[in-house]
Amino acid sequence: MTPKHVPVAALLRVFLWLGTTTYGGGQSAAIRREVVRSRGWLTDEEYLELRSIALISPGPNSPNLALLIGLRLSGTIGAILSYAAASVPSTIILLLLGALALDPQFPALRAALRGCAAAAVGLTVANALELTAIYRSRVPQLLVVAAAAVCVVFAHLSLWATLLAFVPISFALTKPVAAT
Amino acid sequence: MPTLWQLTLVFSVLSIFSFGGGNATVPQMYADSVTHYHWISAADFARFFALGKLAPGPTLTMGTLIGYAVAGLSGAAVATAALLIPAGAIVYALGRLWHRLRDWPWRERFARATGPVVLGLIWAGAAAVAQGAIQGPATIAIAVIATVVMLVTKVNQAILMLAAGVVGLVVFR
Repeated sequence: MTPKHVPVAALLRVFLWLGTTTYGGGQSAAIRREVVRSRGWLTDEEYLELRSIALISPGPNSPNLALLIGLRLSGTIGAILSYAAASVPSTIILLLLGALALDPQFPALRAALRGCAAAAVGLTVANALELTAIYRSRVPQLLVVAAAAVCVVFAHLSLWATLLAFVPISFALTKPVAAT
Repeated sequence: MPTLWQLTLVFSVLSIFSFGGGNATVPQMYADSVTHYHWISAADFARFFALGKLAPGPTLTMGTLIGYAVAGLSGAAVATAALLIPAGAIVYALGRLWHRLRDWPWRERFARATGPVVLGLIWAGAAAVAQGAIQGPATIAIAVIATVVMLVTKVNQAILMLAAGVVGLVVFR
């Protein structure tokens, strides 16, 4: 694919802003709003195509998407800078928070974080419940979810073994899409 | 110094296999950093996970905090680079090769097939975080309330986390 030569500085500005102001699941939607709707750098079809690459790739989804958008719009330099802009500043914010939280001079922060950690379990469970509901009428997929979880929690199956064992099984259970 | 190599190794491998946006890596990150290398306690793992939810950015970067706890700023830098660079290189290669992969008939099917496996790993991740986070009735109550609030309201998760922090400040001091 040939780059469209959007200025690298403009890309940097967009991903620095989005990378430090958006949270969790809202990030991909925020990227679409900015890159497709506000600036018209990509069409919705191009956006969805890049998003589908980001989703089958390893790594954090929204920095992945930023990398692919940077690659499409400004080539290799755009890819590297967009990836860094989408991931490094938020990591520094996290590190500052973490350094404060680890500091024994602030016991109040540790107490607050105990509350946050318990809530984070709740967040993850709520998220997992909502995602599991997607498969509620698909028993084979539910069995894959349960089997993978049980193998990891009780048999301590490693991440790569889990992926290598269950993705092919899940693949075989997934219906091919009708040709469009 | 050997620790920096261990950090590089552990997080590079996590990076390569971090399908599903990093959430799927939580059980393995726990196994490596708490169970195997004893870099941090289960309670610290749960705290770092919570901080990852509080700060902007992906879950995967909680590894930065593990690196920091193990070896200070150089540990944080090494862990961050190891988490980001291998996955980034793979995405870059996929982006370059995409015009050839575009017509791969199994692409969509592969993407959908990873869904249930990643979801199983997310459930296992919740169990890993709970080991450090759930200690006593107050933490159980907070977790249950957070679950219900997330399921029935549209409140922003950062606001929910801050509220839980205030509750923690009052209850756990």
